[in-house]
Amino acid sequence: MVTSVLGCQLRGLEGHLVEIQVHAGAGTGFFMVGLADASVREARERVKSAMSHSQLTFPGQKVTVSLAPAQLRKEGSGFDLPIAVAIALAQMDPPPPTAGCAFIGELSLDGAVRHVDGVLVAARWLAAHGVRELYVAVEDAAEAALAEPLLVRPAPNLLAVIGHLRGDLVLEYERPPVAASEEPPIVDDLGEVHGQEAARRALEVAAAGGHHLLLSGPPGAGKTMLARCLPGLLPRLDLDAAIQVAQVGSVLGELGPEPLRWTRPFRAPHHTISTAGLIGGGAGLGRPGEISRAHEGVLFLDELALFQPGALQALRQPLESGEVTITRSRGTVAYPARFMLVAATNPCPCGWLGDALQTCRCSAAALASYQRSLSGPLLDRIDLRVDVGRAALTALAGEPVGEGSAPVRQRVAAARCLQLERQGTLNASLRARDLRTHAGLGRSRATLERWAAERGLTARGFHRSWRVARTLSDLEGSEQICEHHVLEALGYRLDAAA
Amino acid sequence: MPPPDPPGLNVRGLWPPPEGPRVAIVGARRATPYGEAVAERLAADLSSAGVVILSGLAIGIDAAAHRGAIEAGGCTVAVMGTGVDLVYPSQNTTLAERILATGGALVSTFPAGTPPRRGHFPRRNWTLAELSDVVVVVEAGEGSGALITAEAALALDRDVMAVPGSVFSPAAVGCHQLLRDGAGLVQNARDVLAVLGRGGEVLDDPLRPPRRLGIESPLGTDGLLAHLSDALPLTAAELSRKLGLGFAEALARLTRLELDGSVKRRGEGYIRLPRRRGPAE
Repeated sequence: MVTSVLGCQLRGLEGHLVEIQVHAGAGTGFFMVGLADASVREARERVKSAMSHSQLTFPGQKVTVSLAPAQLRKEGSGFDLPIAVAIALAQMDPPPPTAGCAFIGELSLDGAVRHVDGVLVAARWLAAHGVRELYVAVEDAAEAALAEPLLVRPAPNLLAVIGHLRGDLVLEYERPPVAASEEPPIVDDLGEVHGQEAARRALEVAAAGGHHLLLSGPPGAGKTMLARCLPGLLPRLDLDAAIQVAQVGSVLGELGPEPLRWTRPFRAPHHTISTAGLIGGGAGLGRPGEISRAHEGVLFLDELALFQPGALQALRQPLESGEVTITRSRGTVAYPARFMLVAATNPCPCGWLGDALQTCRCSAAALASYQRSLSGPLLDRIDLRVDVGRAALTALAGEPVGEGSAPVRQRVAAARCLQLERQGTLNASLRARDLRTHAGLGRSRATLERWAAERGLTARGFHRSWRVARTLSDLEGSEQICEHHVLEALGYRLDAAA
Repeated sequence: MPPPDPPGLNVRGLWPPPEGPRVAIVGARRATPYGEAVAERLAADLSSAGVVILSGLAIGIDAAAHRGAIEAGGCTVAVMGTGVDLVYPSQNTTLAERILATGGALVSTFPAGTPPRRGHFPRRNWTLAELSDVVVVVEAGEGSGALITAEAALALDRDVMAVPGSVFSPAAVGCHQLLRDGAGLVQNARDVLAVLGRGGEVLDDPLRPPRRLGIESPLGTDGLLAHLSDALPLTAAELSRKLGLGFAEALARLTRLELDGSVKRRGEGYIRLPRRRGPAE
């Protein structure tokens, strides 16, 4: 007799339904077929031990487990639970019905059900493909419960699962209400930043229009602190975005007991990071990188010039499309990567170029190569550049502390509202041809065109300043883009030597 | 013969000053260290040669000229735009007292008790030229009050001389205009003494006073320009703080000036550009 239950194999953020079929017949042995990789084949030992610790008998016959479809590569330990359940059911007559049920979980040798990565993604995918009940480890239940309307069965151990299927007990999970999505607390507040009017304004503009931002300034000027303030200026995540963020965390196994978080992610990888670490990749099909961890949030790259050129080049596609596609011999996966880039650079390798008090010690050759590494296609995608001066120590004590993050966040939210109502997207991602429709320049067009003609603005630079001008007018609540918006936008352009 | 006193001259201290030629040393209030050094040295050297130094008791070049004369043991006269009993700006009170204590004088055509008024200072400048034999301009930006003194001196048929500065410096623009228009070149006290017909060697031909000064208004009309330097870059943030403007407004106005070619980005900040020659817009 053949029994079968359902499991799930993830490829990136996509699921595949896997049918686990068990046949017990004449002979001895435990065989597994269906393109299972080493981690899945190890399930044999775990399943045997878990069953014997759960007062379940392992059949004294030849047991064949088939993972269908056979051409799909199976990996991971999430098949332990469905395999053990299928074997247990194979010995019951008649087996309890399991239609519409799926099982995901690793088994420990004593029969307890353990966490596996990616439960949220699998649960959402299964729910969308007709599965009604999902059995997962107790600690994964909160994650799985985010996939409405799935019925979640939190399984402490294998015996409880079998008991539930037999009708001896009931595994129930009460779905907590999705937390009221109030504004999350601001961790790094702009009010703590002294001076830095230029960077403050640029942060507000960047937040309002979703523009990428380049902060340039000497070491110790507070670039990192400024970048950290950015998530607090952005409106909280909505449910959809929060789930997307949680999905990436789920695949990486980084979700805590509270899988949904409303604050925007902030990621600041060190400049020694590998290309795979930054954009995603690694063994197998590849895991999400820092850019996907920063999805819907902020990716801060300090010391931009020191990152590996290859890693920076690889950022281009995600910056353009909002997602990253990783292609391996075994297939292609896509992860979301719609982040705001905040890059920071020193004026030169030693950091003191142009400083009033210290002398720069960089050779001309070092300077030239530093500048070269900063130029190029990546900077082409950054809309705003601003200089961050070092605040004098006396000023640190005396200067009035500026406006806090809360009022800025309100203005940002209002400006974003205008944009979304008008064009359905933030200004930074407005395409060139949509600019004409949604960002009429009126008489200020002459100024922009004069600048382009006299100062040699590239077409890309032209559109960049145009988008920023649109955001500046939105921040002011003005439907019309005025002269002073265009002029200010040009003040943030990148073409001046970095 | 010393020039006659203008009618209604109020005096505090010793007047008339000792016999001798009178040289007015005037210049910008926002002076560079170079300009102050020149004014002080020139005043000291001329004082040593028996010249009476006149100036306007303002800060910057004026104060430096008075200081130089006093330090050299000479006699100096402050021609004021207020009543002689009222020192403006007040930070020069000590200087005024030293002028009086060293045998100099404070003079004014305004009655005692006249407070500082914007409109009074051109008349003060006129009086200053009237009381002097030669007017030497040390540092004057475009539109500086020192240029009014120079114009007055021309109108009164006094000699006008000017000290050159760096071609990069906006504070020297006015002086260079004067020089191009025919003002006498001042490199040291001897150049001035030569014009006065005193001293020894003539290093430079004393040039005839120019007929026309041809001072034009700067290309950019934004008041921000006055707060920018030609050498030391100021950032938009610094400028906005200094002038109490919003950062966004300061940046927009700077960009407008940049578009007009009046300022230029240098490093993080902006510097003022010398005015371009060519047909006025």
